[in-house]
Amino acid sequence: MATLTVTQNFGKGASDLSVYRSLGGYSSLGPRLFDLSQFELIDLVTRSGLRGRGGAGFPTGMKWSFVPRGSGKPVYLVVNADEGEPGTFKDHVLMLEDPHRLIEGMIICGWALGVRSAYIYVRGEFLPAIETLNRALKQAYDAGLLGENIQGTGYSLDIYVHRGAGAYICGEETALINSLEGYKGQPRLKPPFPAVSGAWASPTCVNNVETLMALPWILENGPAAYQALGTPKSGGTKVFSVSGDVKRPGVYEVPMGTPLMELLEGKDLCQGIVGELKGVIPGGSSSPVLTAEEARKANLDYEALAALKTMLGSGAVIAFNTTRDVVGMLASLTRFYAHESCGQCTPCREGTGYADRILKGVVARKGRDGDLEHMLDLAANFSNTTICPLASADAWPIENFIGKFRPEFEKAVAANPGHAAPRLDDDFRPGAFW
Amino acid sequence: MGHCHAKVTQPTTDEVFSKLEVPSVLARAEELVRRYPVPRSALLPMLWLAQETIGWLPQEAIRWAAGKCDVSPVHAYGVSMFYTMYKKEPTGRFFLQICQNVSCHVLGAEDIIAHAESTLGISSKGGTTSDDLFTLLRVECLGACGNGPVMQVNDDFATDVVAGALAMPAGVQLTKERFDRIVAWCRDRAAKLPQEPLRDVSGGAFRTGGHPGAKGATTSPQRPDYAPAPPVLALSVQKTEDGKAKVTWRADGAVTALHLEARRDGGAFAPVATLSGKDKEWVGEFAAGTELRMVSESQGRRAKPSNIAKMEA
Amino acid sequence: MSNSYHMPVLPKPDAKKVTINVDGRDVEVPEGTNLVEALKSIGIATPHFCYHPDLPVAGNCRQCMVETDGPRGMGLAIACYTPVRAGMKVATDLSSEKVKTARKAVMEFQLANHPLDCPICDKAGECSLQDNYMSAGGHTSRMREDIGKLYKGAPEHRHLDAKGQERGGKHLDLGPNVVLDQERCILCDRCVRFMRDVAGSEQLYIAGRGDHAFLSTFPGSELDHEYDLNVTDVCPVGALTGKHFRFRQRVWNLVSTPSIDPTDSLGANITVDHHEGQAWRIMPRRNPEVNRSWIHNETRLAYRKLSENRLAAGLFGKSEVPLPQAASRLGELVRGARKLALVASGHLTLEDNAAILALAQFLGSRAEVFGGSWLAAGKPDNIARSGDPVPNRLGLKLLGIADNLDELTRRAKEFDVLVVAGHDLWKIAPSRAKALEAIPERIVLSSWHDDSVSKATLSVGVRAWAEVRGTMVNCQGRVQMLQAAPILPSPDLEPVWQILSSAGRLGWTSELDAFRFAQGRIPALAGLTYRTIGPMGRILEGVVA
Repeated sequence: MATLTVTQNFGKGASDLSVYRSLGGYSSLGPRLFDLSQFELIDLVTRSGLRGRGGAGFPTGMKWSFVPRGSGKPVYLVVNADEGEPGTFKDHVLMLEDPHRLIEGMIICGWALGVRSAYIYVRGEFLPAIETLNRALKQAYDAGLLGENIQGTGYSLDIYVHRGAGAYICGEETALINSLEGYKGQPRLKPPFPAVSGAWASPTCVNNVETLMALPWILENGPAAYQALGTPKSGGTKVFSVSGDVKRPGVYEVPMGTPLMELLEGKDLCQGIVGELKGVIPGGSSSPVLTAEEARKANLDYEALAALKTMLGSGAVIAFNTTRDVVGMLASLTRFYAHESCGQCTPCREGTGYADRILKGVVARKGRDGDLEHMLDLAANFSNTTICPLASADAWPIENFIGKFRPEFEKAVAANPGHAAPRLDDDFRPGAFW
Repeated sequence: MGHCHAKVTQPTTDEVFSKLEVPSVLARAEELVRRYPVPRSALLPMLWLAQETIGWLPQEAIRWAAGKCDVSPVHAYGVSMFYTMYKKEPTGRFFLQICQNVSCHVLGAEDIIAHAESTLGISSKGGTTSDDLFTLLRVECLGACGNGPVMQVNDDFATDVVAGALAMPAGVQLTKERFDRIVAWCRDRAAKLPQEPLRDVSGGAFRTGGHPGAKGATTSPQRPDYAPAPPVLALSVQKTEDGKAKVTWRADGAVTALHLEARRDGGAFAPVATLSGKDKEWVGEFAAGTELRMVSESQGRRAKPSNIAKMEA
Repeated sequence: MSNSYHMPVLPKPDAKKVTINVDGRDVEVPEGTNLVEALKSIGIATPHFCYHPDLPVAGNCRQCMVETDGPRGMGLAIACYTPVRAGMKVATDLSSEKVKTARKAVMEFQLANHPLDCPICDKAGECSLQDNYMSAGGHTSRMREDIGKLYKGAPEHRHLDAKGQERGGKHLDLGPNVVLDQERCILCDRCVRFMRDVAGSEQLYIAGRGDHAFLSTFPGSELDHEYDLNVTDVCPVGALTGKHFRFRQRVWNLVSTPSIDPTDSLGANITVDHHEGQAWRIMPRRNPEVNRSWIHNETRLAYRKLSENRLAAGLFGKSEVPLPQAASRLGELVRGARKLALVASGHLTLEDNAAILALAQFLGSRAEVFGGSWLAAGKPDNIARSGDPVPNRLGLKLLGIADNLDELTRRAKEFDVLVVAGHDLWKIAPSRAKALEAIPERIVLSSWHDDSVSKATLSVGVRAWAEVRGTMVNCQGRVQMLQAAPILPSPDLEPVWQILSSAGRLGWTSELDAFRFAQGRIPALAGLTYRTIGPMGRILEGVVA
């Protein structure tokens, strides 16, 4: 049985404080944490090899070390619970099943950085999880685990839940900060980086739910033990959200480096593909799709997937079989990114909708020869000219679905009897002409 | 020629403010403002509060929220339009939101959506039934893909009705039959319950002292010295080519002084040198077998000693 | 704001220079500034929309792409947000295909959902989309009818046009001064930043998300602010236009004559844009030391008065006479006066006031000069106004003209001839001016049929402020040039200095003679010529503490 570091309390009613405690919860809140200086704790987390579990995979200890301490400005911890990457639902389940582990992780992070006020930014659609979190927070306050002068240490921490209102882009850390501050969730130009100047122009650490939830185990078992669970460059375990054509979709925690097919076929895991495998999206909809052949060679860690020119991302695995129409799948994605573009910068704002409309035309049997090249060109153009990577997140599916399943797309174009007609109509007047 | 969107009848300022300027709402509003260093940051929860109180978010409610958060009305308006969950027009009692994103799409969401449209007789782009019971909307990924295709009824995830309540049990996906069951449950509920109960949608049914410095907050900022002073880590001593000893270590940036100590043959540690916190290495001479340790000092506090580093032969 | 906006660091005139490498050659640019300004300083223009030297940097249009060197080699970056770094390598479109492609790509995206309104859009001819398209765009369109455009507009303004296409918001009445065409907006956010950070009143905001976003006021609210017309300047396209100018004139017909704000002593720099003898609009002229890029609405609309109610002839009492006749009568009265009161005006140029002083000098003890103003100075708004409605008040003081209008009203009976130029005293303070009716011969030089003209025994029409060349000294002690626009309602109209020169047989043939006289009275003007004053003006040494 593999070692679990964040999902071990699933199904045990751990959202209740007394149950969580009986399972060993909040054991960090004692000498194990309070005897550590901030410096040592950051060093400890660095040595554990823990990397951001939200998608970027940035080493957590390094991110913490960038936060200036003693600057006189308050340091903020903002938890990114705006899980919106299509295919991802692990944070949703983690918060419902084990909210106290998140709180404990936040106290640990808060201790490391000197955080006084922390905010859990939860996407608006997760009201049941918000209610669970708030119940857990109240229990934690009542038990003296939060508030002023926690357990006589002189350390104080308040945690607030901040509800989002329906915007995928708020998962980007600077957009999240803007949304928290009461603005539209539009990403910021960088530099400055949030660690130095984030929420309310103060040093801010934005961490994913799963990242913080790994901290209690790391503190209890030591950084070397955590590192050893995974691969040398990708230490620890990862929680994967698996959906699509698998027998048992759900949330699974496996060691980093686990082969993808083991996750999909393991009898304690997803128990196999439904039908014949056609392809797998390995790390959320933004990650380049893998063909079945590529999927069979894939191991689940940052480096191995990067070598296959895709990414681990949020760990959202979507498997699909040979009966599934990839053109429709891509169309659902281009529609999604066009809908979610924040609108701040030109290439993403206009380009994602533009590419979506071309693909909509292909789907509606109005495609023309050259439409695929047009889409690929647009994707290349909006990939490297934007403020944030949302446009790239749209470009990768476009490039990889068309690139790896080209015949199906050409068939969709050819479904228009007039597909070979010239693309640029001589007598066309775009838009209403006065 | 003509307009594309039916004009939404807006209630008057008085109608809206009379619902919002009541003690329970005002108390909530005050507490929300207290959570943040500036009132503006309470805008999203304030809009939620107004929406829950009124049922949707009319323009005057946006103006009310702007006032509470000290922002211009147009700012609050622009923000409310940015986020899709703020309802700019009333919806039916049961707001059915079905995910159309890739994972649910793969598992047949379009069929369920088509079924929903035909059984309810409304468009999945926000149509409302004539009895105002149901509004149907296609939405993007709801973060519950393991149960895909997935639906939300108002704020709850629902792929089936279990023991008389909406539920999303593990492994239970939305199907046409389950959709019909959920709709029947809704109709039944509407017949028995005059309206949906209010729910705390802006997060937090308990009171904290608030953000230090916010209006009405009773908290103080973080003490800078709550944690122990940072010790020196990874002290090591390496013999150089010319037989000297190079001592290296890692110290926190806030350290002001470093005290290098040595001992031989297990005696007491005696001071060897005091370095500035900015120094990164030190070269000296030690006999083989000498043990070294370093004690850092920050803001007048001494930390616990570092690991012991031994001078090799 | 939705971003951590900061004002751009602009190069100072005496800034230290650093060496950077642009397109393979080493160049010296001012340190500390951004690449748009740095490249501009060496003559390279970078296409942009959202960048504005007087507004916080937003970096959202992505048009100003260049390549710069970083830890991973050369990479695309926006020039407006990239600070100059000694030794950095920069590649513009002159040497980088990647930059050319990126700029072309952004242009395609800008135009993808933009309406083809050029034929009916006021901005045509000075539109950033047109200009950047010509310099950086792709020039062939890949758009097709079946792909379609998604026009911008608020839900309540979206409508179907005659072709059945869904359109956005068009020609929306935003308030007393501005019209909004939501479809044309490229969401650069300049107007939002202007209203919030310069005007200090957030009345505009970009609402919504993605390509469904649109510029708006709060629904039902107006855009109404005394600086609101500046949004029509900063708007790079024709989304925000002024009602006063809508459909009036094509900008390529207009000739711009530089001048100075006549309504306020800050002397905001402006241009008077005219065509075929008529002024069609006033635009701000950028002067970082005076008004930056801004002008007050009243300044902007001051051109309308230039063609309303003009006094283009002479008046003997109420009867109209040709100007030469009126001027010559003025000369007779002035030369034959027993005691002449000459009233100077801070609304006139130094040249005109110099003529008043010269005339008094010519007449010796028979003439006395009075000056100042009955208009009180208010407070500066720190945008483009000092609050003092008398533009040349400091110039008058420097010429040694006392602020003594009330003394004149007390001693009115001593005088038999009064000459007032450049003030409508009877409008400004009718009860005080009434005392002046004790003077039997009242001569008023004015550009308009104003209240003073109606109380005058002899009126002589003169050129208005926009029709004269001359100088004024603003409240900062800066001498600034007004140039003459060819918009005279009548070719016989002369500037005040010329009429007075004839009256006093001074023999002046141009403003320069008047200016030289003023130099004689104002030591700080020594050594300056119109050319050395230049379009940005010159601070006079020791004039303002």
